[in-house]
Amino acid sequence: MTRSTRDARLAWLLMAPALALLVLVAAGPVAAAFRESLHASDLRMPWLGRPFVGGANYVAAAADERFRAALAHTVAFTAASVALELIFGLALALALHGLTRGRALARVVVLLPWALPTVVAALVWRFMFESPGGVVHALPGPDLDWLSHPLRAWVPIVLGDVWKTTPFVALLLLAGLQGIDPALYEAARLDGASAWRRLVHITLPLLRPALLVALVFRALDAFRVFDLVFVLTGGGPGTSTEVVSTYAFRTLMQDLRFGYGSALSVLIFAISFVVALVCVRALGSAAPDARQRSRRLRRVA
Amino acid sequence: MPRWLFLIAALAAACGARPDVLTFSGSVLGAEGAIVRRQIDRFADARPDLTIEIRPTPDSADQRHLLYVQWLNAWAPDPDVLQLDVIWTAEFAAAGWIRSLEEHAVDRGDFFEVPLAANGWNGQLYAIPWFVDVGMLYWRTDLMTEAPATYDALAAVARRAREQGQVANGFVWQGAPYEGLVTVFLEHLAGFGGRVLDEDGRVAVDSPAGVRALTYMRDAIDEGIVPRAVLTWQEEPSRFAFQNGHAAFLRNWPYAAALMNDPADSAVAGRFAVAPMPRGEGGRPAAALGGAQLAINARSRQPDAAWQLIEYLTAPEQMLERAEVAGQFPARRSVYDDARLAAALAVAPADARRIIEHAVARPATPVYTQISGILQVHLHRALTHQEPPAEALARAAAAMRAILAQSGLRRGAP
Repeated sequence: MTRSTRDARLAWLLMAPALALLVLVAAGPVAAAFRESLHASDLRMPWLGRPFVGGANYVAAAADERFRAALAHTVAFTAASVALELIFGLALALALHGLTRGRALARVVVLLPWALPTVVAALVWRFMFESPGGVVHALPGPDLDWLSHPLRAWVPIVLGDVWKTTPFVALLLLAGLQGIDPALYEAARLDGASAWRRLVHITLPLLRPALLVALVFRALDAFRVFDLVFVLTGGGPGTSTEVVSTYAFRTLMQDLRFGYGSALSVLIFAISFVVALVCVRALGSAAPDARQRSRRLRRVA
Repeated sequence: MPRWLFLIAALAAACGARPDVLTFSGSVLGAEGAIVRRQIDRFADARPDLTIEIRPTPDSADQRHLLYVQWLNAWAPDPDVLQLDVIWTAEFAAAGWIRSLEEHAVDRGDFFEVPLAANGWNGQLYAIPWFVDVGMLYWRTDLMTEAPATYDALAAVARRAREQGQVANGFVWQGAPYEGLVTVFLEHLAGFGGRVLDEDGRVAVDSPAGVRALTYMRDAIDEGIVPRAVLTWQEEPSRFAFQNGHAAFLRNWPYAAALMNDPADSAVAGRFAVAPMPRGEGGRPAAALGGAQLAINARSRQPDAAWQLIEYLTAPEQMLERAEVAGQFPARRSVYDDARLAAALAVAPADARRIIEHAVARPATPVYTQISGILQVHLHRALTHQEPPAEALARAAAAMRAILAQSGLRRGAP
């Protein structure tokens, strides 16, 4: 036996407990949910039994207007909130990076919203937007109802998400900023490049890996949004802020339609899995290698 | 497997459901918990042959329901006695999870009819009403001399009170998309002469009466008589609005009466009374029925002892004591003739009784939660102008018919 196969065997052996745990807590439940999704299983109608129906639940989900609307809401919410978080996160990271004193304190302060449990944050946003009595009603301008309006109800939801997770994005990007060689900026400055050109031609390209990491984490997280919607609007008015997680929760836990609800959960899982795969691949090809880096240095200089 | 493992497994199984222990599950928080513990202790003192255990369950209706369904679906023989929400009886009975009580002598004449009927399924009685909750109209005695009998009269009084600057809001109720909205709608619906399901269990909510009721609710919001904020309110925000003196009328359950009569917290203590909800054209005053019932687990190993406990807890004396401690309305008529009840309740027993006589039950069907969920969505869409009332009810009715067809339920039995 060669040394490398022995090493490989040892590596597998050492990984085995972790893998077993993963199978137990991740793969197992997903497989069980998938199996349940192939059955017509409704705890409220036990007299119907639990017949195998193949892909019928998936066909029903594809035709379910409410699920399709929830999916569209979720995608729109993810796009809007992640875009805002990246913009504000970048601005915040640049500001933090520029600080010369009190950086540690500033970082702690910035992280506070991230440390707050989402449910608590959502309740605070709800109090602020509630009518009557919410503080937003004290703002100048027309007095509007927020939570009972089909479109305006999204404002506190997106705001709540952006407020809470921008610090996370900012810290990720700050780490990326600190990895950029200051010599690049010096060279650019000597050549008279403006701050804007330095941002566009040095910072953003070299920050791309960090930006992608932030994008992947946030997009996957935002896609599974639950607590903000649940607390702020409950999916209302009507179903105009319903997202896939709240719909699946309702189907499973209130209507007790386990077969159909499992199919919805499997679909949500599959969609996030595919998105994650695509992102990870994009991430892998995004890391700028040394050659690119020196080329960029030459170009800027 | 080694022998000791078998032993442990056997022991664990034995601990799960000891045949000599009678288990009760229900609300055990606050005053409700205090009274149920006291009464069960008294019952246990008289029955030394029994050990009684109280199994606490979550107070949130949805969570308790989920827990019950998990237990009963797994054919657990305990808890033996279950406290049920009124809308679960049909579901549990149809599933075969609770015992028919037909073999027992029940003093049916003494119980209010609607709660008793709501606990029937397929012509048999499955649970005994314990206390009743009803939707009531709270009205300000300092702003008017009597409660309005019709929705038009209510709107007129509310309009006048707002114009004169006496209150910011006319009428407040629960309009968030949850079960409470369905009960408020049910009262308006019956008030205008409509119903959700007809006697044969067919969907009837999309009737002209239904459209009139929903249109009235929407227009009241548009006009400002009912504040648009109710569309996000459950019980407590609506109570606060009335309690702080911001509304002329409130629709709420009996629990609010005692709280709003406390001068320390309430700006309207001693300045309000209760009445049945008003009626519209072609309808009658209606009070949505809530409250708790007691039923026996179909797989209980000691159904006789379970029945004796239910009989004890639902006896007039216990109901009276419960009203004294927890302020809940007794489910038996005879208790209302007892002078002690007037001291126990925050409203006059005669008023309470009159409102209970107007009770309307939510549809007794095993698929009630789905039906309610559909209604919540379409009612809320109509009230927020996402669907016109007629279209909202037509769509809700179509979805409800699909659920009923899928359930395989014909009239009555599965």
